[in-house]
Amino acid sequence: MAQEYLLLDIILWFSIYLIVALSLNIEYGYAGIPNFGRALAVLIGAIAVGGVVNRILILLLGIEGRGIIETSGTLKSTVNAMISQNPLLGLGILVLCLLIAALMGAVTGALFILPSAKLRQDYLAITLLAISEVLFLVSNYNTSIIGGYYGVSIPDVLAFVPGERRFLAFALLGVGIALLVYLFVERLLTSPYGRLLKAMRENEDVVKAFGKNILVLRIKTVALGSAIAAIAGAFYSLYSVNVIASTFFRVDWTFFPFLMLLLGGMGNNRGVVLGVFSFVIVKVLLIVYKFEIKSTLHLPFEATWLEYILFGVLMLLILYYKPDGLIKEKPVTMTPPIKHALKQKAKETSGR
Amino acid sequence: MEYGNSQPTPSSGASALVTQRLTKNFGGLRALDGVSIDVAKGSITLVIGPNGSGKTTLINVVTGFLSADDGKVVFEGRDITNKPPHEIFQMGVVRTFQNPHPLKKLAVLENLLIAEPGYGESVLQSFTRRWVDKEERLVKKAFDILNFLGIEHLWDEQAMNLSGGQLRLLEIGRALMCDAKLIIMDEPIAGVAPALSHSILKKLKELTKSGISFLIVEHRLDIILDYVDWVYVMANGRIVAEGKSDEILKNPKVIEVYLGAQG
Repeated sequence: MAQEYLLLDIILWFSIYLIVALSLNIEYGYAGIPNFGRALAVLIGAIAVGGVVNRILILLLGIEGRGIIETSGTLKSTVNAMISQNPLLGLGILVLCLLIAALMGAVTGALFILPSAKLRQDYLAITLLAISEVLFLVSNYNTSIIGGYYGVSIPDVLAFVPGERRFLAFALLGVGIALLVYLFVERLLTSPYGRLLKAMRENEDVVKAFGKNILVLRIKTVALGSAIAAIAGAFYSLYSVNVIASTFFRVDWTFFPFLMLLLGGMGNNRGVVLGVFSFVIVKVLLIVYKFEIKSTLHLPFEATWLEYILFGVLMLLILYYKPDGLIKEKPVTMTPPIKHALKQKAKETSGR
Repeated sequence: MEYGNSQPTPSSGASALVTQRLTKNFGGLRALDGVSIDVAKGSITLVIGPNGSGKTTLINVVTGFLSADDGKVVFEGRDITNKPPHEIFQMGVVRTFQNPHPLKKLAVLENLLIAEPGYGESVLQSFTRRWVDKEERLVKKAFDILNFLGIEHLWDEQAMNLSGGQLRLLEIGRALMCDAKLIIMDEPIAGVAPALSHSILKKLKELTKSGISFLIVEHRLDIILDYVDWVYVMANGRIVAEGKSDEILKNPKVIEVYLGAQG
């Protein structure tokens, strides 16, 4: 049973982190935009669920109470009872949450990247990190948005699933959403749009010289990436059945996704999948066995810090010894039109 | 005749590009000092001058990569002064760079495909089949250009693996890809073998017949002069002489500022 939970935990975290890492791959891996504020878009997804959908449901159901913290508790028990009788309601709320999260993520992302009109690379990265941190602190200390450090409760959209199968259902749902996101991102990035993003990453002057508006491209790209990351934030909140701002800390939702990207290899989605998978396996095993590891290795510090230290060292090692990651980026030269053109050429050559 | 302060003398016919008293300062340094040139439609116009005379700055200002402090840039009758580079391109002006700007991790073919105007900017189009048909046409065109430049065999090679000369050809290929009305080239044949340089210039000459105009900065006068219609000579940010290619080298000012400086 314990092993089954361990496996489900790996699957669930793999799904959530894959969505976030893919969003970052669009922005940083392809477009070269150093979005050190990834955690913000994930937090926006949580705000969409805990702050927006919660309030919509409170209004619709006429639930009364003092403030969002208290009212959300009542809402949760009321809606859970309804969903256990009517699964479609749960699925409807799930879809609504993901849609609103994506929309809010896109709008936030588009506004968030505006400083890039004046800033490049490292200055932009620091500015985005700062904006993300400010909004994180506001959400954490202002209890009227999503309950601040107290948090808010969220209805269980899978309340109709028997308790012992809930974890499995969420894991499968996570895999399904991650798969859809993967197919979407893969299609997008193997099209001329993906090529243009890579071109922008390689040399902005060339892209400008050939008539492309860099700022518009950046806005579109970060809006897309942030929408996807917000979906991950919303899904994670729905699984947790509560939202607490402090959960959306920069280490977990910005630093770790960057590490996964670097580990797997940027600019190709297969690399991202491998990076996320390797990371999640190590992370989950470290969480489960950290005390055993500490006592076996006689570590001179608290086991809690082991995860951070190991991942920090891992990032340095990758940057130093394997900067291209486990799977190196390759040019996309075998798209259907190119294959077709090559066949035509081969025919012409043999016909001569 | 005083050059640069007067209205330019076009070599023939209507103008594709005109600059009027263009001025650009970098702090205390005046990089362009009232530069007026005229590129006739369907011509090859050459700008020569010693290093630091302002040739590349002129290209950067004309194409919107740098803003002008004073003066005007007019393309086909429209004022394009200080417009952003992407808008200038959309009007039909494309440029190459003095130091090749390859998209290093992209394949040679991909480097050419990004040159198509407006192509790849739509997210929605990525999810339709419309781009596939367009891409087939573009791939064919790109292969034709690569074939002409003699680098067709490198089509799937990452641009970072190309030699200096091959990178120049890639720059030229990208410029030819986008059907521009005015192609501005900064030292297009530097590092390219003489035989290939001649065939590239012949091709450019051929393209002028269809109305395409060229503004070229180049040092290899032994090769390029036979192909150009009009030459401007720059020194210290000013146009100091202009004339037909077979006469320009006899101008004493040119010998003094350009050939003199080289010798």
